Parts: sequence; C-alpha cells; structure tokens
Amino acid sequence: MFTGPVPAEHMPESSRTKCPECDASNGSHARSCAQCGAPLVANWQSSPRLRDKVLRRTDFMAAARANQRSTRLLIIALLAILCVLGYLVGWSLQLAGQGLPESADTIWFVSRWGIFCALGLFSIGVLWSWIAFRSGDRIVLRLTGASEVTPGDEPLLHNVVEEMAIAAGITRPRVYVIETEALNAFATGMSPARSAIGVTRGLLDSLNREELQGVIGHEMGHIVNWDIRYATAVGVIVGLIVLVSDGAMRALYFSGRSRNSGKGGAGSVFLMLALVAFAALAPAFAMLVQFAVSRQREFLADATSVRLTRHPEGLMSALDKLAHSAQPFKGANRATQHMFIVNPFRNFREKSSRLYATHPPLELRINRLRNLGND
Amino acid sequence: MEIFGWIIVALIVGIPLWGILLYNNLVGLKNQVKNAWRQIDVQLKRRHDLIPNLVEVVKDYMSYEQETLEKVIQARNQAVSASTPETAIAAEGLLTGAMGKLFALMENYPDLKANENVSRLMEELSATENKISFSRQFYNDSAMALNNGVESFPSNIVAGMFGFKQATYFEVPEAETATPAVDLR
Repeated sequence: MFTGPVPAEHMPESSRTKCPECDASNGSHARSCAQCGAPLVANWQSSPRLRDKVLRRTDFMAAARANQRSTRLLIIALLAILCVLGYLVGWSLQLAGQGLPESADTIWFVSRWGIFCALGLFSIGVLWSWIAFRSGDRIVLRLTGASEVTPGDEPLLHNVVEEMAIAAGITRPRVYVIETEALNAFATGMSPARSAIGVTRGLLDSLNREELQGVIGHEMGHIVNWDIRYATAVGVIVGLIVLVSDGAMRALYFSGRSRNSGKGGAGSVFLMLALVAFAALAPAFAMLVQFAVSRQREFLADATSVRLTRHPEGLMSALDKLAHSAQPFKGANRATQHMFIVNPFRNFREKSSRLYATHPPLELRINRLRNLGND
Repeated sequence: MEIFGWIIVALIVGIPLWGILLYNNLVGLKNQVKNAWRQIDVQLKRRHDLIPNLVEVVKDYMSYEQETLEKVIQARNQAVSASTPETAIAAEGLLTGAMGKLFALMENYPDLKANENVSRLMEELSATENKISFSRQFYNDSAMALNNGVESFPSNIVAGMFGFKQATYFEVPEAETATPAVDLR
C-alpha cells in the first residue's frame, strides 16, 4: 500500500497555533509564543510556570538580569563551538596527513592534533573577545562610518543626549552622526562610563524633539542595561566563527585536491563530511543565537526609554515614522546590524522571516508601548 | 560533632562578610542620592545664568510685557539669593511659573522666533528645564532605591546599626504643578 507523505492540504489546520499578540506561527504543543512570549493556552494563570513567565516580561529588573545571564551563556556556547570546530579541523588534518595512527583500532581515536587545534582556537577566541571588550566600540564606530559632532555643531542633539544621560544618572556619552538619509540610531561602548550614541542625519531631520528623546532614551537603555558591551563582544566572536569555518572549508578543499585518494579510507571521508556539515552549520547557528538574544534586548530598551522619559508617545510616534520610512541605509554592515534601533537591512515585509530577524516587528513594539502607557 | 564546629566557623566568617556587602551597597546608594542632589543644583545654576541673557535679547521685542519680564528677573534673583533648601525650592517654583508665562507670551511674537539668537537661547533654556526635571526624577529614583535598602530586611539591620537615614523625596511645589494661565485678549 502506498504511504507517502501526507499532502499539505490534508494536514489539520489546528496543528499550528497562531499567537494572538504577534501573529507568529507556533507548534501545536507550544504553551507560549516563541516570538513574543505571550501565553497561547487559555488557562495560563493556573500554571505557575507560565504565569511567572508572563509576569517576568513586564518586570524590568528581572529581565535585565536574565538578559545578562543568557548573554554570558551565549559567549560560553560560542567558545565551545570554537573548541569543537578546532578539534574537528585538527582531527581531519591528522587523518589526511598521516592516516590512522598505529595504536588506534577504530577511527574514533583521540587526536593529538585535534586537541592542539581546539586549544589554539579557544585561546584565539578568548584573545579575540578580550580585544572586543577593549576596543570594540572603536571598531564599531569605524564600521558604521559615524563621525563625532561637538555641542556647537548639533546643539539640539547634544542637549537631548545630555537630558537622557541625566535621567539615567550616567556621564554623557559621546555623540556621533552618520551622514545618510536613512532613519536609524545605535549605541556602542564598553561601559556606561565610556559609551557613544550615533544617529543618522535623516533621523535628525525628520523627528521632532519628543520623538528624538524617545529614540535617544532607547539607546540610553542599551547603555544602562550593559547591552552595548555584550552586543559588541558577541558581534566580534560570531564574526570569528564565520571566519574560521570559512577558512576550514577552504583548507579542506585544497587538501582534498592535493592529497592522493584512498589513504585515510572510508573513515576519513566520513570525518570530512562531518566537518563540512559542521563548518556549514556553525555560522548559521551562531547567527540564530545572536538574533534571538538581540530581539529581547529591543523590547527591554523600549521599556527603559519609557522609564527615562515617562512619555511613551514620543517613542511610539518615532517608531511609527521609522516604520513608514522607505529610505534605504547605504553602507550598512552585517556585523553591526543588531546594534541599530531598527534593522538597517529591513526588507519592509517584516512578517516574512521571523527566525532570522534581529528586531521584533515594529507594530508589535508600538503595541507593547501602548500597553505600557495604560498601566 | 566536628561538622558542627565547621558550621559555626562558617557562620562566624560568613555573616560579617554578608554584613560588609550590605553595608557597601548602602554606602553606594547614599552617595548616589547625594550626587543626584548636586546634579539638580548644577542645572538650577545653569538656568540662573541663562535667564538674564534671554531677557536682554527679548526685551526690545516685548516692550509691552515689561511686567512679565520684571517678574522673571525678580524670581530669578530671589532663587539665586535663597539660602535654605526650603526657600530655594519655593523660589525655584515661582521662577518656573514666571518662565512658563514668558514662554507662552513669546508665542505671540513671530519676529522673536525668527531671531536666531532667541531660538538658540530658547532651545538652551527648554533643554535646561528638561534637565532640571530629569535630574529631580533621577534624584527621586535614587532616593527610592536608598529607602528600599534602609527599610527592607536584612539590610535594615545594617542600616540601623550604622545610622543610615531615609532620603526625603523632592516634592514638586504647588506653584509649579499649576499650569501657567495664558491670557488671550
């Protein structure tokens, strides 16, 4: 009897659950939305775990702590990926160069080269994050093409930044402007005492004072929640993984061509396949984690902006203007995209690719701000 | 029996360490409150410096509003010469009210807003007004953090031992909460 895959039209409609708050499609057994955390079951209040999760969304301090914890985990996970990647590279290089060692009876021997490579990549990763923590802000500022402005050049912008710094109780960040018509803003730095805020020329020209205050408050939120340091470090480490797996693929390609076949046998081929699969998957995985983390941060920074300005309407109307702007951001960089208030690579059809989004949909952010104002 | 000895040693070492952490936390909060209070002073001083400049520039345009301008200058001088916090808060309240009235009246003079000097001073002054209210907001937030520390268990024990006092909130004076009346004749 023929038992092929069930055609899509025969699948029951109820196997996917639509989130009432953000329209994201969730698995049938999901109890809360994967995109925004809203409860999907009717009697969510009877479940202590779910109730806790929903309450935590509005608890700003707890969210900041959870955010920082998850970022530490992320950096550990990324270093672990580097270790595994390094071991696989060393292992297959040893197999390709020497064949199976005398003592090994299977291909699953403990590879000395693998350990060396793993240690090497791990220490490169640690060194790399150290560099990122020391001078990541300068790298980011150069990548975005922003130039510093004095209070004489931009008195209004400087005033608004200083107001928000006073509200947050930190020293005033340095102020940068990117000369582009696109509407965007970002923050970077290594600590609240050493930070910078950049806005585009288009943003300065099209927002009024209150809207600008909301946007600067959002960036100040990234600064006081220590998002800036983590964002910079994560960006640089993720960049390293992409670099290494790229190089591994290339090295493999050349060693495969120069080597005469059959030396390592089937085991070598298997390992090569595993390495190729891992090297291809690692960057995608690293990107996914990076995106998942930065989406939570955007909500948190929006909430912090309201806490500083005590005026949600300014940020709401600013986000509305950003959502309706069609100015493309020329010269934007993939490595810094998660630092901006709206994604510079936004394709204006935001519901299409939720999994890869660094930012939540703007309508959802505006809706949440409206709810904050009602409380 | 030996294990009880170790537990007692751990408690003897651990509890003072915990107390030190709580104490340092309270010191940090207290200094933040002090610093926040000084921030308000810095901003008020800036406002006092800016007002004579603004009055100097606008008085030629607003010759019919001498009374309002004089009130602003008077309130400003009172605020500068105030010696105790109570009189300072009251004088600043009067000044804010007078400034609000001046800003509202300036809307009637389109020539004024076209003047680059005036619009620059206006931006500086409204930024300073914002900074004053944001520094008050931060002061109150810091005071709340300190008061939570002083009142809540277990740091209230440390606070009681070392005499940490609750900070008073900056209440907005009544004169400021009233919206300045604009007379549209």
